[in-house]
Amino acid sequence: MKKLESNIANMAIVLTLIAVVAGGLLAWVNNVTAGPIEQINSQAIENGIKSVILGDREIEFTVEAPVEKDGFVFHAVNDMSGNLLGTAVESTDKNGFGGALKIMVGLDPEGVILGYEVLEHSETPGLGAQANDWFRQKSGEVQEQSTVTTVLLGAPGKPGNHNIIGMNPGDDMMIVSKDGGDVDAITASTITSKAFLRAVNAAYKAVFGYTAADAVSGASSQN
Amino acid sequence: MNYFKTIINGIVKENPTFVLLLGMCPTLATTTSAVNGLGMGVATMFVLICSNTFISLLKNVIPDGVRIPCYIVVIASFVTLLQMLMQAYVPDLYKTLGIFIPLIVVNCIILGRAEAFAAKNNVLASICDGIGIGIGFTVALTLLGFVRELLGNGAVFGYRVFPESMNMLVFVLAPGAFITLGLLMAIVNSVKNRKA
Repeated sequence: MKKLESNIANMAIVLTLIAVVAGGLLAWVNNVTAGPIEQINSQAIENGIKSVILGDREIEFTVEAPVEKDGFVFHAVNDMSGNLLGTAVESTDKNGFGGALKIMVGLDPEGVILGYEVLEHSETPGLGAQANDWFRQKSGEVQEQSTVTTVLLGAPGKPGNHNIIGMNPGDDMMIVSKDGGDVDAITASTITSKAFLRAVNAAYKAVFGYTAADAVSGASSQN
Repeated sequence: MNYFKTIINGIVKENPTFVLLLGMCPTLATTTSAVNGLGMGVATMFVLICSNTFISLLKNVIPDGVRIPCYIVVIASFVTLLQMLMQAYVPDLYKTLGIFIPLIVVNCIILGRAEAFAAKNNVLASICDGIGIGIGFTVALTLLGFVRELLGNGAVFGYRVFPESMNMLVFVLAPGAFITLGLLMAIVNSVKNRKA
């Protein structure tokens, strides 16, 4: 078969045909995969709620229907006698290092952080992507740096704390220690750490109305 | 045309990463660990084989004047298909590679092979070229990721072999990608020169 000539009619017809076939194929696959994707996402939310509220505890619980407000999603979790165990809040900060950072954080009725999960992120693998582990490690788990690392990246800071489980954003300064807060940023990933803590504070604020970090950041004051 | 030779050609003589130096953006960005490199390589290979097949099939129907837009539509469609399928059926891999998948559209290896090979050869040869170049790319990315993960994270495929204190963080960061790529290319070239 001889190659089609490049006149305007041929070009328009071929390009249109290819685009239409491609569009149709995409629509069909989108239709087929929409169900499983939806199922995976809701499964992830369900597992997230269990993990951020209960952690390792084995308690029977019920989850109330999610409430959406101002970009947050609240899942209230009750025990079997109807007492509030805590609230799992989905919170998003748009200014992570690689884009939006979406987390779920579990707050008990007093505002103490029970747990958290990073739901969606675009952070650098090996650096900012550690957020899902970093903020639950106790400071004792931080290891010493090698000489080479020190030469390349500067001396390590004093061993600090970056375990936010058990902290209360209403009392503790949930900002990075570089800015005078109580939480150490992930090594070489300050932007990710700040975005993560902003999302935690925003979640707390959405439930309780204020945070201890407000006074420092100057965004708003408690009075 | 010797199909086996076409495959080997893509892996060794025209290795997209070490010889043609194509697709540097995903190469440097995704190879922070061996698994990421492997996943990116396999995903690219899938798109490459599909796009090579279709472009070779359509090569006489597509007028020269609109060939690039047509190729782009075909490639972008396959990438989007891959993205939706991965999201639905291998969510874990999708979570790791999610942001890199759309980057395959602008990977110049794929457009480069469409233009340089698939548009001039028959379907079977084009599939072989896709397999060869795809394997070459995958091997190169896995190797890069392996070295960077070992030096930067002290781990091999996620399993720790060196204590954390020996990590050289720079290898996980962008400069480490350039350093590792340069060293690997030097090694590959030196081995090749010795053979010749």
